Amino acid sequence: MRYIHLYFTCIKRSMISRLEYKKDTIVALFSFFFSNLCSLAAVYFILQAIPTLAGYSLAEVGFFYGFSMMPIGLDHLFSDEFWLVAYRRVKDGDMDMHFLRPVPVLFQVFAETFQPEGFGELILGVALITVCALNLTVKVTFGAIVVLIIGAVFGAVIITSLKVSMAALAFIFKRSGPLLQIIYNFSAYAKYPLAIYPALIRTLLIFVLPFGLFISLPVDTLLYGTNNPWLLSLAIICAATVFFALAVWIWTLCERRYESTGS
Amino acid sequence: MLKKYKPFLRAGAIDTMAFRFNILIWAGITVCEVACMIFLWLSVYRSSEGGVDTVIHGFSYREMISYVVLTTIFGFVTYNNDTLWNINTDIKKGTIGNYLIKPISYRGKFAATSLGNLLTMTLMFGLPFYTAALLTLTSLGFLPGLTFPAFFAHLGLFLLAGLCASLLNDTIAYIFGVLCFYTSSGWGLNSLKVTLVSFLSGTLLPLSFFPAGLREVVNWMPFAGMSQNPILILMMKYDLAESLRATALTAAWIIVLELFAKLLFSHAIRKVTVQGG
Repeated sequence: MRYIHLYFTCIKRSMISRLEYKKDTIVALFSFFFSNLCSLAAVYFILQAIPTLAGYSLAEVGFFYGFSMMPIGLDHLFSDEFWLVAYRRVKDGDMDMHFLRPVPVLFQVFAETFQPEGFGELILGVALITVCALNLTVKVTFGAIVVLIIGAVFGAVIITSLKVSMAALAFIFKRSGPLLQIIYNFSAYAKYPLAIYPALIRTLLIFVLPFGLFISLPVDTLLYGTNNPWLLSLAIICAATVFFALAVWIWTLCERRYESTGS
Repeated sequence: MLKKYKPFLRAGAIDTMAFRFNILIWAGITVCEVACMIFLWLSVYRSSEGGVDTVIHGFSYREMISYVVLTTIFGFVTYNNDTLWNINTDIKKGTIGNYLIKPISYRGKFAATSLGNLLTMTLMFGLPFYTAALLTLTSLGFLPGLTFPAFFAHLGLFLLAGLCASLLNDTIAYIFGVLCFYTSSGWGLNSLKVTLVSFLSGTLLPLSFFPAGLREVVNWMPFAGMSQNPILILMMKYDLAESLRATALTAAWIIVLELFAKLLFSHAIRKVTVQGG
């Protein structure tokens, strides 16, 4: 309870400090929409050259793309500060203050930033899903809806856990931003149906960096009923629990290695 | 005259060396990422009406794979640049004041640092990576356009185009950095810059995939010189005349944008508010 109260207090402070930079927030919002527009345009330009992508129509690929923004957007809201930790804050010795407070460092980093830009992703994703769904003829089942929601929420937990683990490595290597960036970039590949990848990559995207598990498989379940939605939901929840526990463990192990820059 | 910038060049080079372990991890995982990209393109070519051997917008699937591999190495070697963030930090922490009273140009300092980065990256990673990639791709027949000895002229032009791309990248980062004077924070500006560059430079996909009108416009913009053109020069998809024209265009853009940056800086510097210190 105390932590929930503390979280909101910190977030309020972060929003106030963010609003100090109104112009930057506007530029950030604009660049956010622009960047998503560019990625969508790139997919559209590629698909213009071919009839279907491994059997998936333009609307279906669009649906995949829109759904992939759900877990990514949710994660974006809560864990943006880890980018800074990985790229600069440890290297600059900027973490001292967190170690002096009587609250876990990991919690403080979460409470440092709330990124409203994530809402942009969620809105854009829902819009894209709606537009594409109107161009599809799918028999929607209750199970499919549940697995999509589970995929979005627990998928976000998995992405956040990956972020925390990679950012934690900065305590050892001083700067782990590029590593985090690359792991995060794998989410780009889950924007397409798993069917386009060979078996090895498919396995990697389901079991190692499970972007496929919570993006492609739920969407396939909705479009083609390929998986049992309840078993899939259970698998996603289990994976999220394991990843989160691992992330907290790695973070606790690594934070002991923090040393200030002494300047 | 240029001697006073030598320490920055050296610092840039050493700084990059100091984080070489990080860079190695980065390189390792980039390989996985490129593999995924290759599968995406293979699937695109397999799904095309004429089968896998179709030429789509001037690229066979072999050339497309070479393009993806080479642009990735190019981006890795050329864009190790912290200019925007350093300016942002100088503004936020007020350290900008220290530089304004020193008898060196603020712009020159960054250009020298980024050249230092480029030097280290090219020697430590560019040389082995390009050699390995070119040897593998040619022996697999993935670079059908390559002919010897004409290749050596293209290689020379590619190095020049790479230098231009790195300078241009630094100029653009600097302009966006100076814009932080107005917004007081670099988050939004940085993501805008990253998107602009990766989409319009042909890193995301070759510009020939763009619809005709847009393609014409983008080809005249500075960004194509930052990724697509150097790689097409190296792959010998451009003949010598085209290569020279593309590189000259990039060089011209550097001059124009440097002048713009100078004007912008002299306006922005009046806006400086050192925050708290």
